[in-house]
Amino acid sequence: MAQQTTGTTQASPQPAAPKPAPPKRPPLPTIPPELDALSIWKMGAPALVAMLKDPKSTLFQKAIACKKLSISGGKDAIPPMAALLSHPQLSCYARFGMEPNPDPSVDDAFRAALPKLSGKLQIGVINSIGVRRDAKAVGALAKLLEHSDTDIAQSAAASLGMIGGHEASRALQAALRQTQSPVFPVAARAMLLCAEDVIVKDRAHGLTLYRELSAETMPKPVRLAALRILNAAGPAPEYTNRWPAPTGEAAKQDKSGFLGR
Amino acid sequence: MAEKHGDVTRRGFGKTLAAATAAVGPAATAASAQIATPGPGQFGPVVVGNYRPVDQIVMGGIGIRSRGMADLRMLLGDERVKFVGIADVREDAREAVKSTVDGYYKTNECKMYRDAAEILARPDIDALLIATSDRWHGLMAMWAAQSGKDIYIEKPGAMSINESYAMADNVNRYGIVYQSGAQRKNQYAFEFAVGLARSGKLGRLTAVHADTAIGLGTVDEGGHSWWPEEKPEPDSLVFDWDKWLGPCLWRPYNSNYKDRGRGLFWDFHAGLLEWASHTVAMAQWAADMEHTQPVEYIPEGPNFRGDGLIERYTIRCRYANGIQLILRNHSWRLLGSCSNLFEGTEGWVEVGDSGRIEVSDNLKSLVPKKTGRAYDPTAEHLREFVSCIRSRTPPRANAIATCNTHVASHAAWIASQLNRRLEWDPEKRMFINDEEANRMRSRAYREPWRAEALATSM
Repeated sequence: MAQQTTGTTQASPQPAAPKPAPPKRPPLPTIPPELDALSIWKMGAPALVAMLKDPKSTLFQKAIACKKLSISGGKDAIPPMAALLSHPQLSCYARFGMEPNPDPSVDDAFRAALPKLSGKLQIGVINSIGVRRDAKAVGALAKLLEHSDTDIAQSAAASLGMIGGHEASRALQAALRQTQSPVFPVAARAMLLCAEDVIVKDRAHGLTLYRELSAETMPKPVRLAALRILNAAGPAPEYTNRWPAPTGEAAKQDKSGFLGR
Repeated sequence: MAEKHGDVTRRGFGKTLAAATAAVGPAATAASAQIATPGPGQFGPVVVGNYRPVDQIVMGGIGIRSRGMADLRMLLGDERVKFVGIADVREDAREAVKSTVDGYYKTNECKMYRDAAEILARPDIDALLIATSDRWHGLMAMWAAQSGKDIYIEKPGAMSINESYAMADNVNRYGIVYQSGAQRKNQYAFEFAVGLARSGKLGRLTAVHADTAIGLGTVDEGGHSWWPEEKPEPDSLVFDWDKWLGPCLWRPYNSNYKDRGRGLFWDFHAGLLEWASHTVAMAQWAADMEHTQPVEYIPEGPNFRGDGLIERYTIRCRYANGIQLILRNHSWRLLGSCSNLFEGTEGWVEVGDSGRIEVSDNLKSLVPKKTGRAYDPTAEHLREFVSCIRSRTPPRANAIATCNTHVASHAAWIASQLNRRLEWDPEKRMFINDEEANRMRSRAYREPWRAEALATSM
């Protein structure tokens, strides 16, 4: 680097040192054919389904088949993937393939698998049920809120929050009365999600849920989130006479976006 | 952060208090002395103000190595920040961060954690620097938001369209200050170009171009994915493979993943977002489209093969107002990496990482005589983040802007992978009449990981 002699004058730059030769880029690894996904990736859905059903198929082949079936799989791809939900390594691939498939048989398959699994594999299915917002699973998930494995209870709470609706909110309200950490904070966050869903369809009930979530017993981030919604929803009851929310035509014209109006 | 404690910790009062009491005075003096000697030039510019320890924002880090370490050094130079802990699945990374932090503060107080949950549970930490690999960014941001912690996170912010929405929804739900590492939003040449576009100097904007260079070409050199040879897993105390893999699909362990080359695998790669996180973000900003995404995506060229292998590509996108967003990896003016070109009816401007600015002849008088990259924009970007924590205002690379950048980039990537024109409905968060594309909006997480979010339309 050139030495700076004064504030304005610079010494002449030193001759640049010869650049070292750039390191040779390592060649791309050779991919063993049995672990190359490209040929599987180019298969159509029927061949992929057949690959899943074939007992001679390798772990790798089944994994990539599930990945591709996440895009192209139809109803017939669901049973062979559901059969992998109990597989320690392939369960995640099966869920990867099933979760985005819009066919309702996916929900049936997840609900059917739920009581047959345990530990992380059961948690995975619980999570997928939540992502798909399967309202028919609310009863089964509500029972899992009391599971002795708190990881399972937490996942059940989270999925109930994602499913939303009155039934899920009732289950979560009960859980908030009965559970403690580590399930309680997850149930509180789940209730926050639930309230977000409920308030769109039933504003009064939604605000009730937010009021419960604003209690001092709630985890601070949840309480603050609920208070923000309640503040936006309008003044607290004791102030309503002093600053009444607009009604009738005035309310229709109010573009403030406040939920309270 | 300390401001939470109150009304009595504002800067002015802290200054008065420090002057008036012997208890605070020496502590503040000691802290200032430490900050004033940050070491031999390896740390960021020192931010000195009237800040006192009582006002400091307490920060921790998750997954800090090369890029994160550069961020960390900038943060350590900011007197408003006190860095207190690091969580990492790698023992060597934990120890490197502790050594850097303790060396800077001349203490032995930086705590180390193997599990991010432990640092998220610390109530004294106000904000987190998250610089894990891409696959963890979305979930970590959601967890941090749910823990009430502000977030500076390296890009890309999410691995899929749905994860982008889930991240932004969680950040907004919990009222968190979020800044993604799109530091070019605080680099002069880019700011200048955006300023020309937004101030009407280019006339009516017609197209914004983003250099998305790598991304398609590096994804899945061997097809959609492959598994290197299985090796024995290391001791989880030294390297926790299961936690490193995180929400990604299971695969057999091989040390090459952690040491190099994970970008070759679709499972660990966010498609175009290696550079689109920067350049599409700038394009959206220039077009005043940070609140939405393009509604049409057209991959151009004969080379899209549906398996990720492509060397030269253009993806032409269109916003509802007619402005085009053009993603391409060719035909740039060699102004450095991460280039942007903004075109209007009355002129154009192109910039890149060199800091040089090229414009149409009619705009040359507006360009500063001396251009070039005079400083590292990361320092300014981090300073903006810290300022926004104090003011509770959204920074430039906030969660909504990041989400919309990511959704646009993921949608363009999906169009390229399917090799067909796609239409997108930003309101419904869905592609129109294309089930395959809609299925590609998400990636299921490996158990037991989950995103607590309201799912978008199935």
